[in-house]
Amino acid sequence: MTPERWQQISRIFNKAISLDGEERTAFVADECGVDQNLRSEVEKLIAAHSNASAERFIGGMAAEKAASYLLDENELEPPAKALNEGQQFGSYEILEALGIGGMGEVYLARDSRLGRTVALKVLTLEVSRDERRMKRFRQEAKVASSLNQPNILTVYEFGEVAGLTFLATEFIDGETLRDHLHENKLKLGEILDIGIQVLAALDAAHEARIVHRDMKPENVMIRHRDRVVKVLDFGLAKVAEKKSLKKDEASEAATAFKTAPGTIVGTINYLSPEQARGDAVDERTDIWSTGVMMYEMVAGTIPFSGATTSHTIVQILEKDPVPLSKLGNVPPELERIVEKAMAKSPDERYQTAKDMLIDLRSLKKRMDVEVEIQRTSPTMSIAAVDTQEVASQSKTRVVVLALIAMAIVTAAIFGVNKWRSTRARSVAPATAPVAVNERTLTYWITVQKFRDKKPFQDPFTIPGEMIFEEDYQIRLSFSSPQSGRLYILNEGPAVTTAPEFNVVFPSPTANKGSSSISAGQVTQIPGESWLQFDAQQGTEKLWLVFSEDVVPELESLKEFASRQTQGLVTDPARNKMVQEFLQTHSEAKPAVEKGERLTTLKSSGKLLVYPIKLEHH
Amino acid sequence: MTHESNPPNITQLLAEWQHGDQSALDELYPLVYDELHRLARRYMSRERKGHTLQTTALINEAYVRLVGQKNVHWANRSHFFAISAQIMRRILIDHARRHAYAKRGGGAQQVSLEEAAVVTPDQSGELLRLDEALKSLAEMDPRRSQVVELRYFGGLNNEEIAGVLNVSENTVTRDWNMARAWLYQQLGGSAAN
Repeated sequence: MTPERWQQISRIFNKAISLDGEERTAFVADECGVDQNLRSEVEKLIAAHSNASAERFIGGMAAEKAASYLLDENELEPPAKALNEGQQFGSYEILEALGIGGMGEVYLARDSRLGRTVALKVLTLEVSRDERRMKRFRQEAKVASSLNQPNILTVYEFGEVAGLTFLATEFIDGETLRDHLHENKLKLGEILDIGIQVLAALDAAHEARIVHRDMKPENVMIRHRDRVVKVLDFGLAKVAEKKSLKKDEASEAATAFKTAPGTIVGTINYLSPEQARGDAVDERTDIWSTGVMMYEMVAGTIPFSGATTSHTIVQILEKDPVPLSKLGNVPPELERIVEKAMAKSPDERYQTAKDMLIDLRSLKKRMDVEVEIQRTSPTMSIAAVDTQEVASQSKTRVVVLALIAMAIVTAAIFGVNKWRSTRARSVAPATAPVAVNERTLTYWITVQKFRDKKPFQDPFTIPGEMIFEEDYQIRLSFSSPQSGRLYILNEGPAVTTAPEFNVVFPSPTANKGSSSISAGQVTQIPGESWLQFDAQQGTEKLWLVFSEDVVPELESLKEFASRQTQGLVTDPARNKMVQEFLQTHSEAKPAVEKGERLTTLKSSGKLLVYPIKLEHH
Repeated sequence: MTHESNPPNITQLLAEWQHGDQSALDELYPLVYDELHRLARRYMSRERKGHTLQTTALINEAYVRLVGQKNVHWANRSHFFAISAQIMRRILIDHARRHAYAKRGGGAQQVSLEEAAVVTPDQSGELLRLDEALKSLAEMDPRRSQVVELRYFGGLNNEEIAGVLNVSENTVTRDWNMARAWLYQQLGGSAAN
C-alpha cells in the first residue's frame, strides 16, 4: 500500500467512525466514489474497529500479559535439579545443567571411563514410573544406538544409577534447525547442505528398516563448530515390518498429538497425509516431512499452517502449497525436488531417501560449478554471486561450454577424482577485457576433516570463514580472470617475537616454481598433498599478493621455498623487508565479496594485497 | 547493572538524546532495560497471584530510581516514558519469545514429541504476532505505531502520549483508532485484549 493510499484510507476511516448509521454509509460511499477497492478497505477497517472496541482488543496493557511470562519464566527453572555440578553420577561427572524438559533434565557430563564429554538425559522419577513413556525412551535408546552414521546422534549408554534412569548421548554444541531458522534467512547452499545431511541420516535409518516418523526442525541439530547436522529423537521411530507399519502403530504417532478434545497441540505441521489420516506409514513419511522442512528453509514459512489443527490437517491432506517459485528466486530443480518429496500420495514421492539425496547432491554440485564459473569467467557479471540468482539464470552457450571444462575441476574439489598436480587448467574463455587498473582474485578453501587420524566425510569447500580443528587439513585454490604474478606467504600466529614468514607459493612443487599465473588458471596449493596446521593455535595469516608485474621483493624469496624448511624466510633482513612490504601495501584494502563457497577480492591499481585469516585450535 | 548509590547521569543522557545525540540512547537503553526488567520481576515475585503489573507505576519507579527525585522535569520525563515504552515492549517480547520457546522445549537438547505436545494454547504467540504487525505498521506509519507502543506497552494515557509526541490529544485518539482497527485486521480478529 502506498503512503498516499494509507493516508487516504485513514482520513475517510476516522471521519466515518465519528458518524452513525446512514450518515456513515453515505459519507463512505461519497468519498470512495467508484473506487470499490477503497470502499472495501475502509469498510473492512470500520468493521474491525467495531469488533476491536467490543472485544477490548489491546484495551489493557501488554504488561498484564507479560506478568504471567515473567512468572512463568521463574517457574520454568528447574524446581529442584536432580544432580548438581561436580557431582558424580555413576561413572559420569556432572559438569553443567543444560536444560530441562517434560521428560527430564539434560546435563553436560564427563564419562570418566573414556574421558569423553556426553549429554546426559536423566529422567524424572515420575517419567521413570510411567511404563508407556519408559517404553518410548527405551525405544529411542535401542533404535538410535543401532544406527551408526555421522548425521545421527550417537547414543552411548542407557542405564540406571541410584534409581534414576538416564541416557548418555553424544554432546552437540549447536542449535536446532528451528532456532537457526528463527534467527536467520538461510542461503541456498546451506539449505542444500542441511538437506543432504538429513537425508544421509534417513538413508542410513531406512537401510536399517527404521522410520523416524517425527522429522521436524526441532529434531535436527546443527553443530556450531563445523555445521555438521545431526538428526535426533528416534523416540517415535519404528522398525518397518514388511513394507508398511501396522495401522495401529501409525495412528499412535498421529494420536500422540492429541490431548484434550479440541486442544491445539504440538507440531502437526510436518505430519504426512498418511500420518494425519492415521493410516499405515513407511519410510516415505520421512521423505514428506523432510520435504516440508526443505520448503520451510527455502520459503521461510511452513507450507501447511491453518488457524486450528483441523485446518492444518485439511491443508496437509488437500491443499497444494504455494509453489516455491512464486515466493522468490528458487532454482526450478530445487522446486521440483521439494514438490516431489511432498507429493500427497506416497507412491508419487521419492521412494527412498537415497533417491532424493542423489538429486540434491547433483543439484548442489551443479550449482557449485556454476558459481565457480560465474566467479572465474570475466564474461559474466561477478556481482551475481548469490547462488539463487546464478542457478536460475538462463545459461548462455558460453557457460554451457565452460561447464564442461569446469566439471573436471569440480570433480576434484568433491574428492571424486584426485587432483594429481597443480597444473594450470584453462577455464572458460579467459581473454575477455578487464579494467586495466583493477586486480581481481578469487579463492576458496577445501577442507578435509579428520577423525582418529583418518579422513572423515568428503572434503568440502568454504570461502574462508571457519574455525579449524588442529587435525583438519586444507587446500587453497585461486583463480583470476587476469594473468599476473601470485605470491603467498604464511605469517604464523606468533605474537611475542617478530613475525615469521613462510613462502607458500610459488614453490618447487607448485606451479613449477613460477609466480606467473595465466588468466582463468585454477591453482591449487599444495599441488598433491594437503596443508596441515601446526600445534601452535591462533590465527594464521596467509598473505596474498597478486600483481600485474613481478614484485622483486617477493620474487627473490623463491630460494627459501623448500619442503624441508617449509619455506621459512630465515634471513632477518629479508624477513624485515617482507614485513615492511606487506605493511605498506596492505593499507589499501581490497573489496571483499564473500559467496557461498568462494571469496572474490578486488582492488584498484596494479597490486592486490590481502591476508586470509585462518583460525585454528 | 545500576547501583542505587551512584545513579548514572540519566538526566544528562536524556537531554543529549533529546538534542539528537543517538549515542546517548545507546547508553540509556541498557540502563533502563536492566532497571525495568529488575523491577518488573520484583513486582511479579512479590504479587505472584492476582497481580496486574502496573506499567506506569513501574516506569515511574524506574524513573525516580534512575534520575532521582530532585531532577524530575516533565520534558525529560516524557522522553523517559517514550524510551521506557519501547523497552517494555522489548522486555515483554523477549519474554514472550523465550516463553514460547521454553514451552516448545527449544532450550533443551532432544526435545521429544511428547514434550511438545503438552503445550497449552497460550498468549505468547499472540503478543509476538502483535509485535510483528506493529513493525509492519511502523514501516507505513511510524507515528501510529508509536502511539500503540506508548499506550499498550508503556501504559501511557492519551494525554501523556500527546505530550510525548507533541501532537493534540485528538490526533492521538484518531491515530489509536486507526492503528487498533488495522492491527485487529492483521491479527485476524483474535482477542489480544
